[in-house]
Amino acid sequence: MIEVRDLVKKYGPQKAVDGVSFDVARGELFGLLGPNGAGKTTTIGVLSTLLRADGGQVRIGGHDVATAPSAVRRLIGVVPQEIALYTDLNARDNLVFWGRLHGLGGAALNRRVEELLVLADLADQARRRVETFSGGMMRRLNLVAGLIHQPEVLFLDEPTVGIDAQARSRILELIADLGRQGLTVIYTTHYLEEAEQLCDRIGVIDRGRLVALGDKESLIGQIGDVDLIRLAIPADRHEAFTAACLGWEGCVGVGERRGRIEVRARDGGQLLPHIQAWLEAGGVPLEQLEVERPNLETLYLNLTGRGLREEAP
Amino acid sequence: MSRLWIFAARDLRRLAADRRALVVNLALPLVLTSVMGLSFGGGIFGKKGISAIPVAIVAADLPEPLRERLLEGLRESGFFAPTWADSAQADALVRAGDVAAAIVLPSGALDSFFNADSLVIEVWKDPASDVKAGIVQEIVQRGVLRLQAGEAAYRALWPQDVVLAAADSVALADMFRGGLGDLWRNLRDPDTAGTQARAVDFLARQIDHHLALGRVLSRPTVGLVVADRVPGAGNGGRETNLFDYFLPSFAVFFLMFAVAAGARDLHRERARRTLQRQLLGPGPAWPVVAGKWVAAVIQGVGMLGVLLLAGAVLFRVNLGPDPWTLPVVVLLTCTAAAGVFMLMALLVRTEKALDNLSTAVILVSAMLGGNFMPLDNLPAWSRSVGQLFFNYWANLSFTRVIGADGSLVDVATPLLVLGIGSLVLLAAVLVLFDARVRKGGWT
Ligand SMILES: Nc1ncnc2c1ncn2[C@@H]1O[C@H](COP(=O)(O)OP(=O)(O)OP(=O)(O)O)[C@@H](O)[C@H]1O
Ligand SMILES: [Mg+2]
Repeated sequence: MIEVRDLVKKYGPQKAVDGVSFDVARGELFGLLGPNGAGKTTTIGVLSTLLRADGGQVRIGGHDVATAPSAVRRLIGVVPQEIALYTDLNARDNLVFWGRLHGLGGAALNRRVEELLVLADLADQARRRVETFSGGMMRRLNLVAGLIHQPEVLFLDEPTVGIDAQARSRILELIADLGRQGLTVIYTTHYLEEAEQLCDRIGVIDRGRLVALGDKESLIGQIGDVDLIRLAIPADRHEAFTAACLGWEGCVGVGERRGRIEVRARDGGQLLPHIQAWLEAGGVPLEQLEVERPNLETLYLNLTGRGLREEAP
Repeated sequence: MSRLWIFAARDLRRLAADRRALVVNLALPLVLTSVMGLSFGGGIFGKKGISAIPVAIVAADLPEPLRERLLEGLRESGFFAPTWADSAQADALVRAGDVAAAIVLPSGALDSFFNADSLVIEVWKDPASDVKAGIVQEIVQRGVLRLQAGEAAYRALWPQDVVLAAADSVALADMFRGGLGDLWRNLRDPDTAGTQARAVDFLARQIDHHLALGRVLSRPTVGLVVADRVPGAGNGGRETNLFDYFLPSFAVFFLMFAVAAGARDLHRERARRTLQRQLLGPGPAWPVVAGKWVAAVIQGVGMLGVLLLAGAVLFRVNLGPDPWTLPVVVLLTCTAAAGVFMLMALLVRTEKALDNLSTAVILVSAMLGGNFMPLDNLPAWSRSVGQLFFNYWANLSFTRVIGADGSLVDVATPLLVLGIGSLVLLAAVLVLFDARVRKGGWT
């Protein structure tokens, strides 16, 4: 349904998207996972015909987004990262406007608007101005507004950002429902557990590059048996430790995060004695030590050296 | 067209929900117009004040000291700004609208009054200044009524005062002294011939007096005639109403803010991403911005329309000689204004930049284009520079239609400028917006 090949999008000299390729099958729920500034919104922008690519090709439903944008637009629905609604109008008037925009009218429009209000659980709030809505209500309305013309493909750009856990799980349920109804969905997020929970396949994007792609199991398989060891030692010993650690067998990489050292090891158990010996030899006090088995979080760290929730540099 | 209307209707709906816009667009200009019009009074035009009613007094042969007292009294009342005039002058003043009314006493008024002869005072009114002339009429009418009532009462109580001289009463008493026999003798006595004549005279006058009193009681001696004096051909035009200038100039000034807000909304929508969402709809991009332009025009027409109508009701602002000239001026003013500010919105990158630019443009063009001062009062250089701004042509049209009662032919040139300007601006807006969208610069 969606084919992305070597997509490049530049803002000035900076490549916001740098050679991204992936496919999404019909009816699939595809997660685009990445930290702030990774290029998720930019990718969605090109896919939804709003931005011109500087390189590569994107086809949706067989139509090239660059040469047949109108055909693509008929297929897609877009839910922007922002609350792209008229907050000075009520919920119903918003949906009516977006429906008219897509050529709906009369009884068909009314029916569709009612359906979506029910879907968003806003039927009894339909006449309230959107500016009086809670964050979760706005997000739900923002979402269903992208469905007004019954698209086959839906782009969701961080639809749960900035709302509480309860509101979030309602939206995730809503999206899971849409997936079950056969909608093709591209879902961007920087919440790992959302992607894990919701998506059939996940692409991890960082600094404009797709650094991993696959379903959850195959992604974890990609990094094999890499454990993550976190330890806290005095900061003035970090450098010495890093130098020593890189020489030990089984060490894949050493990094630092939030004042703690993170060691990626093919087998944590093999590396621990080395660490212990080094600490004792140098008389270095150990404040904390933990070992983590592979999961998407460690995968992510492996790939990008950064946590998902951290701000982009 | 229908797609364009979808966008325009949405903006109008949003506007209708915005009470603040209603205040800013309608209440504020009205209040400001009232304040300016009332406080400046005749200042700018130097013709007349709003508070003191200009009246002309015609009383040709009133003795000098009496005239002085009368003028002084009227002036001190604070209600009137009286001028002395002869009948012809007063007529011209009223017709030219320079005075609200003239109070005309006929020649020999004083004599007529004291002789109990019929005396008719006239009030000539300028119908264009209904209220003020009405006040004059009312005051004179009250005066006359009071005079009539007093006169009637006085004559009924003391009829002898009117005609009976003291000498007569003595002569009369002599005649009747001694009863009817004496009267008979007295009448035949040649020595009393003088007294006889006086008695006959007295009786005749007594009868006259009773007849006169009857006349007075049945019909007042002092009458009032009120007449409108409309401006005639070659008679110097109509009254200059300050609001005729202030209302349209403030309305156009506030119109600029209103359409600037509409144009700013383009940036707001872009920041909020509703603009991008609209671009995802089917069809070309231009109706998105054209719809905003249409909404701004409709908003402007509504705003100017309400303000002018309110002005006509509240301040007696003239709405032109026919029902179509002013609407055409209003429409073309709004299309041009919307075009100017939409184009500005497309030329700058951010809402902030647009705010700064449009505020500067509004103030400069209001100053040079004659929104703060009538075009005629502006220096020549400013008038030529002002022609670069749409509001110069709008103000010129309004001045000619409202101020001078001009019709379409009188404003053909400024309307042509506004019309062609609107088309050029709109075309530039559509082309520029399309280019921006095509390049992805607005997404
Ligand atoms: N209009 C723009 N002009 C210049 N640079 C831009 C523009 N939009 C995005 N960028 C840059 O491109 C990069 C990718 O941005 P993008 O918005 O696609 O990231 P994202 O993954 O959606 O991030 P977030 O999670 O914050 O939404 C960032 O470095 C960003 O600063
Ligand atoms: Mg984003």
